[in-house]
Amino acid sequence: MVTDHWSVGGRALSSRLFIGTGLFPNPYVQREAIRASGAEVLTFAIRRVNLEATEDDSILLHLQGESFAYLPNTSGASTAGEAVRIARLARASGLSDWVKVEISANERTLLPDPIETLKATEILVKEGFTVLPYTSDDPILCKRLEEAGAAAVMPGAAPIGTGLGLLNPYNIGLIVEEAKVPIIVDAGLGSAADVAQAMELGVSGVLMNTPIAKAKDPVRMAAAMRLAIEAGRLSYLAGRVPRKRYASASSGLEAFKLK
Amino acid sequence: MIDLIVNGKQSTVDAHTIAELIAHYGLTGKPIVVEADGEIVDRALWKQAELRQNMKLELVHFVGGG
Repeated sequence: MVTDHWSVGGRALSSRLFIGTGLFPNPYVQREAIRASGAEVLTFAIRRVNLEATEDDSILLHLQGESFAYLPNTSGASTAGEAVRIARLARASGLSDWVKVEISANERTLLPDPIETLKATEILVKEGFTVLPYTSDDPILCKRLEEAGAAAVMPGAAPIGTGLGLLNPYNIGLIVEEAKVPIIVDAGLGSAADVAQAMELGVSGVLMNTPIAKAKDPVRMAAAMRLAIEAGRLSYLAGRVPRKRYASASSGLEAFKLK
Repeated sequence: MIDLIVNGKQSTVDAHTIAELIAHYGLTGKPIVVEADGEIVDRALWKQAELRQNMKLELVHFVGGG
């Protein structure tokens, strides 16, 4: 495996896969899938403790003994105010001052509210958080989030959990071209091919949960995603051939063709 | 006994401080965060933080998420 270095918010990373921790069938599969993925950054949600079942293990106990960066999200928030509140609670855990701003405007699509996301990003950057907003794939919005101080910007490929892949690769390409911070495609990816496609567009990384956790074999899929990121990144760096309208033969030498 | 709203539900508990409330729910030593009447209360202060009648408390933690 090629060792690849990049950084987000001042933290050096060698994996370009951020992995979500929800939806796994059990903690054992979750741990093995995370290991197979090579991910160094894990996302979490913040929720009320279930007071009827406090003897249940905290998800964090299953992940002890390894050094991950924790990226709590603000899922559940529908306004900037709610997102800021959740971010502060997450930081108060002492585990991370990173936050994925996730503010949903619509329960059916879970698409991020662009206006509230920008507001929350501005506030949280000023409060000293390392902010990674999950946003729509609008190039201007992504630039505004960068200007507001986001450490990385995370446009969606498609709505959360849909597995539809990159619905607007053109926009993702534009976003990458204009960005001075890492661009991480977050949400809606479904397969290893989607991940390779995203990497070939030049994104710095991908964030995914459903395509690994809900695959028939999550551990195997995590390994596939790791390879897809590597292949896609190498392809991007190698410089692909242009698309052509008509054929262009691989062997010329007209005079020597057998006739 | 004191009346509180804990995680959105009306509760009456035998506790005087946040630390005692945490113990009441069997959460001592677990990685949770406490918000009391909209203000986060640092873990270091739980033993001294007194509960007040009708105080609104949120006990939250990290769960799986994307």
